[in-house]
Amino acid sequence: MPRWGMVIDLDKCVGCQACSTACKNENNVPHGSPDEQRLRRDIYWNKVIAVTSGKYPRVNTELISMPCMHCDHAPCVTVCPAKATYRREDGIIVQDFRRCIGCKYCIVACPYGARSFNSKEQEEEEYHRPDLPPDRNVWGQWPFPTRTHGVVEKCTFCFHRIDQAIKEGKKIGTEVVPACVEDCPAEARKFGDLDDTHSEVSRLLSSRGWIRLREELDTKCKVYYLPR
Amino acid sequence: MGLAFSKIDGKSREFYILFILLSVFTLIGFISFMVSYISGHHVLGSSSIIPWGMPITITIYLIGLSAGSLILSALTYVFGKEEYRPIARLAVFLAIILIFGAMIGIALDLGRPEKSWRLFMFFVLNNMRSMFALNGILYGGYFLIGMIYLGAIFAEKHNFIKMMGKIAIFWAALVHMGTGAIFGFIATRPIFFSPIKPFEFLAAAMVSGLALLMIAVVAIFKFTKRNLNEDIIFSLSRLLRVLIIVLAVMVLVDKLTHLYSPHREPTLWLLTGPYSWIFWLLQVGFAYIFPLLILFHPQYSKTLKGVMVAAFLIVIGIFGERFSLVIPGTAYPLPFYPGKIEGIWGMAGSFPITPVESFMSLGIFTLMGLLFLVGLKNLELLPVDEMGQQTSEVAKKT
Repeated sequence: MPRWGMVIDLDKCVGCQACSTACKNENNVPHGSPDEQRLRRDIYWNKVIAVTSGKYPRVNTELISMPCMHCDHAPCVTVCPAKATYRREDGIIVQDFRRCIGCKYCIVACPYGARSFNSKEQEEEEYHRPDLPPDRNVWGQWPFPTRTHGVVEKCTFCFHRIDQAIKEGKKIGTEVVPACVEDCPAEARKFGDLDDTHSEVSRLLSSRGWIRLREELDTKCKVYYLPR
Repeated sequence: MGLAFSKIDGKSREFYILFILLSVFTLIGFISFMVSYISGHHVLGSSSIIPWGMPITITIYLIGLSAGSLILSALTYVFGKEEYRPIARLAVFLAIILIFGAMIGIALDLGRPEKSWRLFMFFVLNNMRSMFALNGILYGGYFLIGMIYLGAIFAEKHNFIKMMGKIAIFWAALVHMGTGAIFGFIATRPIFFSPIKPFEFLAAAMVSGLALLMIAVVAIFKFTKRNLNEDIIFSLSRLLRVLIIVLAVMVLVDKLTHLYSPHREPTLWLLTGPYSWIFWLLQVGFAYIFPLLILFHPQYSKTLKGVMVAAFLIVIGIFGERFSLVIPGTAYPLPFYPGKIEGIWGMAGSFPITPVESFMSLGIFTLMGLLFLVGLKNLELLPVDEMGQQTSEVAKKT
């Protein structure tokens, strides 16, 4: 079984937010209003934060693009009472809207702020997902045919793409990647199997020093950053 | 067991006015809930950074009151303190009403309340590693045990009451410690994360439950023009003193440990930031310092008025304690990366008080008030007469 992971090269990242936009397009994540952003009610599956250190002439700004970290020891999976969020065998942490009761315990427990609560009825837009039509008769876990308010949402590593690629026998990591990886203009993001020694991500991780965010909480997350 | 209990008549004008008022506010609360359910939680104050708002604050507050109230009923039924017998039935009944209100509070906070049955599919659809799911067992069991306990008390089966009383106090302690564990086990949130949280919650439960019970007893006895043996209240107030000190010491230890790194910055923010007035004035002032000053004062502690003021302050203060845990506990931004995080991701969240949420919260309280009134009218909860004539003959006559 593969163990999907992502490597983000902070040396290449220019902070253009293309990953955030690509994610919103791909997964039909609603765009919030400025008012909603001020109240922290807009939904982000991928966010880019700017972290500064130092004082004026000697300032350093790091741009950290943060999807869900898909931790191996995910605090959200531990605390979810309804098994709505769970770890798939390939290591992706999934949020099942059908099971989610909206208790928001996972938002409290997530150390990365990767989860957003959908607090209003969102406008229905056509899914940009040619592989799976938004059909109520499709009784799979995904796609949830219409977005529903009152549940928690998060990044899925675009597992619909991965599942489709496995069915079609395409190579994941080179031919098929999540939307944010595909759209990154600087090619800062790489996606692949962390257990496969021949994959691009394994090569990158062995070639340079890497960090993971909030290592002190021992979440063993699968998004790695290559520092500048 | 020479003590008779009776219902209240519930035919006076005041009773009906109170009943109608409570019903109206409950209805408004229900409408507010439907608004938030249909249009989504954007009408409430909670957001992705402060996910838990007023309903959860009220829920843990009510669970505390309930557990405290039930534990105190056991003073009579388990430890045989006869002087508290007149109020013991009321304590059990109050505990059941309060846990019911708490369950309503959780349901109001859920984004998808129609799926709340999923919380009670133990070991089947539930993830039993979650403190929330474990608490589902505790809350459900608590409600059942409370009902059986009250039934046994009405049936006057003394051995069974004693057994149920023992189970009930054990379970009540467990319930409140479990509630503390929901918060205390979350390593991500520095203000929550503390092994002492379950015990702190238990102490807070005892304090607030006792204070509320004292208020309820005095108010009902005054309202129904019964004679109250004031010694009960004064001896309870001496117990209250001890409990407040225990709670204050636990909170002190909790905050002191948190003032050391790595929890230092969020805790400093709590103690000096925008929510500090809730912590200092409501929690420390109203719940610990002012009541202690009153209860240790040579004159005020001997008057019923003084004790009642202290109890009121505590009931408000413990609410402040819950609020200053739930809201600021999640509001402080998470340190994703060392350095100063710019923009909204590095800002503390704010919690606007919205009308819908306020009416919804009020509705929880009025619903409980309504149930309480109905209970007083239909169940034999209050002693017939308080002043010494409680003989078995009187009991037989009534």
